Amino acid sequence: MKSYIRNVFLCAGLLGAVASAAMIHGVSIARAAEEKTAPSIAIDNFSFTPKELTVAAGTTITWVNRDDVPHTVVSTDKKFKSKALDTDDQFSFTFTDTGTYNYFCSVHPIMVGKIIVK
Amino acid sequence: MKGFLGTPASFGADLNLIVQVVMGLALIAGALLARAKRYAAHGVCMTTVLFLNLVPIGVVMWPSFEQLVLPRLATHLQKRYYMVAAIHGVLGAAAELLGLLILLVAGTNILPETWRFSRWKLWMRVELALWMSALLSGIGIYVVWYTALWRQ
Repeated sequence: MKSYIRNVFLCAGLLGAVASAAMIHGVSIARAAEEKTAPSIAIDNFSFTPKELTVAAGTTITWVNRDDVPHTVVSTDKKFKSKALDTDDQFSFTFTDTGTYNYFCSVHPIMVGKIIVK
Repeated sequence: MKGFLGTPASFGADLNLIVQVVMGLALIAGALLARAKRYAAHGVCMTTVLFLNLVPIGVVMWPSFEQLVLPRLATHLQKRYYMVAAIHGVLGAAAELLGLLILLVAGTNILPETWRFSRWKLWMRVELALWMSALLSGIGIYVVWYTALWRQ
C-alpha cells in the first residue's frame, strides 16, 4: 500500500514536471513568435524592405540596417529622424497617430518608404 | 534632394563631384599657364579654385563627414566606408592648407621670413600632386558611399 501511494506521488510529480516544462517552452515560443511578428523594416542594398508597411496606431516599427554603408531614416514631415545608422544599428519609432508617413534616407535620397497607420 | 548621376547619391554629392573634377582640371590648366609663363593668369586661376573650394567643403563635405564619419571613425577605421573618408579628409585638408600657405607666401607679405619658402616650383608641384590625390580619393568616396561597384 505504501509503495502504491509512493508510486502515485512519483508519477504525479513527474507529470507536473513535464507539464511545467511544456508550459515554459510554450511561453517562450509564444514570446519568440511575438517578437518575430513585431514589425521591422530592413535596410539593405540601398532600399527599405518592405517599402510600404501598414500598421495599427500605437505600433512600434524598428528599422535595421543590414547594408554595408550607413543610412538614415527621416520622415518628409519631420516627425521622426534617426541618427546615422551603421551596419546592424537600429532605429525605432512608435506611431501613435493615424495617417501616412513618407520617409527617406537623407544620405541616399532615392531610398524612400511609406508607413500607413490605421 | 535626389542626385542626377543615376546613383543613390544626393544632389549635393553629385554636384560636388562634378565641381571637384572641374576644379581639378582648372588646376591643371593653371599649372600649364605657369609653364607658359603667364603668371598673372596662373595666379588668378589657382586663387579662384582655392577659395571656391571652401564652399563645397563648408556646405557638403564637412557636414557629411561630421554626421556620418566622425562619430565612429576611431572604432570603425578598418571599414572601407570610413577609411576612404579619412584618407580623403587628410589629403584634402593638407592640399587646401598648403594651397593657402602658398597663396600667402606668393601673394602677400603677411608671413614672417621663417614661414616663407623660395623653391616655388617644388612646393607648387607638391601641392598639385596632393590636390590630385585628394581628388582621386574623393572619387573613391563617391564610389564606395554611393555605388555598389566595389561590392561586385
